[in-house]
Amino acid sequence: MKSHEVKIAKEKLLPEAGIVKAPSPNGEQETMITGCWRVLRPVIDREKCTMCRSCWIFCPDQAIEIAEEKMAVKLKYCKGCGICAEVCPVGAIERVPELDFEDGVVRLEKLF
Amino acid sequence: MGTKKFLTGLGATATAVKMADVDVITSFPIRPYTGVMMILSQMVANGELDAEFIHADGEHAQLSICHGASAAGARTFTGSSGVGVTYAFETYSPISGGRCPVQMLIADRTLDPPGDFGSEHTDALGCRDQGWIMGWAETPQEVFDNTLIYYRVGEDPRVRLPQFNCHDGYFVSHIPGEVEIPDQSQVDEFLPPYRPVDPLDPQKPVGHGPQIFPDQGPALEAMRHNAMMAAMPAIEEAIDDFGRIFGRKYAPFVEEFMTDDAELAFFINGAHAHTARYAIKHLRERGIKVGLVKIRFIRPWPTDLLQESLSRFKAVGVVETNSSFGIARGGGILAPEVCGSLYDVPQRPLIASFMGGLGGEPITLKEFDFIAGKLKKIAESGKIEKPVYWLGFEE
Repeated sequence: MKSHEVKIAKEKLLPEAGIVKAPSPNGEQETMITGCWRVLRPVIDREKCTMCRSCWIFCPDQAIEIAEEKMAVKLKYCKGCGICAEVCPVGAIERVPELDFEDGVVRLEKLF
Repeated sequence: MGTKKFLTGLGATATAVKMADVDVITSFPIRPYTGVMMILSQMVANGELDAEFIHADGEHAQLSICHGASAAGARTFTGSSGVGVTYAFETYSPISGGRCPVQMLIADRTLDPPGDFGSEHTDALGCRDQGWIMGWAETPQEVFDNTLIYYRVGEDPRVRLPQFNCHDGYFVSHIPGEVEIPDQSQVDEFLPPYRPVDPLDPQKPVGHGPQIFPDQGPALEAMRHNAMMAAMPAIEEAIDDFGRIFGRKYAPFVEEFMTDDAELAFFINGAHAHTARYAIKHLRERGIKVGLVKIRFIRPWPTDLLQESLSRFKAVGVVETNSSFGIARGGGILAPEVCGSLYDVPQRPLIASFMGGLGGEPITLKEFDFIAGKLKKIAESGKIEKPVYWLGFEE
């Protein structure tokens, strides 16, 4: 029988079924960087933050981490959904438009 | 060597599933397929089969459980009929795109409304574009054999695709026939354990079914296409091996009957091929040179083999046990695929569709006589008056 297969150049090949191999459950992957979806950036007030970790629990994308003994946002992956700001019991998280930042994702010519 | 038993299509499926040593089975009741789950649940309860038997809360859940289990490396089995098949429709593309070789039995049932139990192939054929391997069996023996062959092809590292293992409800699922049951050692030789690539594993975390960007889409779709194309040599090799180990030789894709000198042919899939064989013997006694071309796999569709096979005839009657209202030529789903396969061939037969067996009615010998009569007329006149005939409604 004739072959009807498509020749796919090596550089275009993806892992079968698009499977993403992560080094650990908390690790990062490079195939799907979602920070560029964000319109409003969560900014944590380090003075108000009580380290209750509500934002860490509720973040659907595991985009909250503990850095320098305070809660911080992984901007590479945060989609800006605002759930963290909503659940923060002390109002320590403010949602600021990306346009207000010099490195705001809406200003980037190349998205990551 | 093995033993012989008198089994229904569902009994044959259950026996093959047990011998394939599946790990996870998911069920939800709907006639006529549901009998297979009755037998399998008894096997699990009696300790004959060591498998997780999960009663799901619907067909969508049945398929979703199998998707997860297969992604974790289990050999899985599920099934449904009629509207149960369509209820799970959303899950079919993610399972084939996830390259999870789930096997699903479809014992055909007419889609509603009204609630009709009879066999019509539209339930399964409606899912033909979802990246699943798909084919029909004609007898309980073929059902048994296909169950093993489909696992082997679907789990082949070049392929890794799910499979719709179809047979007609009632005609095959509930009418017993003689089935040769092989030894377990033969099955083990034919069907090695499933070896998944990057399964879900807490020790080695991976992400399945990720969100992708549009620019990653073409490559993944081309890879799924290539997997389906790779199923063709995989099926041929599996059928060769099957013949060597079990002693039953099948044509991989296109099975012919009394076609050597035939000028006319019935093109058919599934249970009605059985009646067609008897009809052909009767028609031959009356000097009508007619043969049978039975297609064993609808996906992947064997275009090249059909070009070779069907271009030898003057007229071909596609027997359609399915409906697709408003499709090209106004008949069933198979004729446009047959016509499309032959379009590039300079020497091609005249083709007409015959809508029969709808709602699960049997296609009678008299109706095959009618088809042969129309084909003879088409061959003699050299032209098609009508592309579609509805059996029982036309003179």
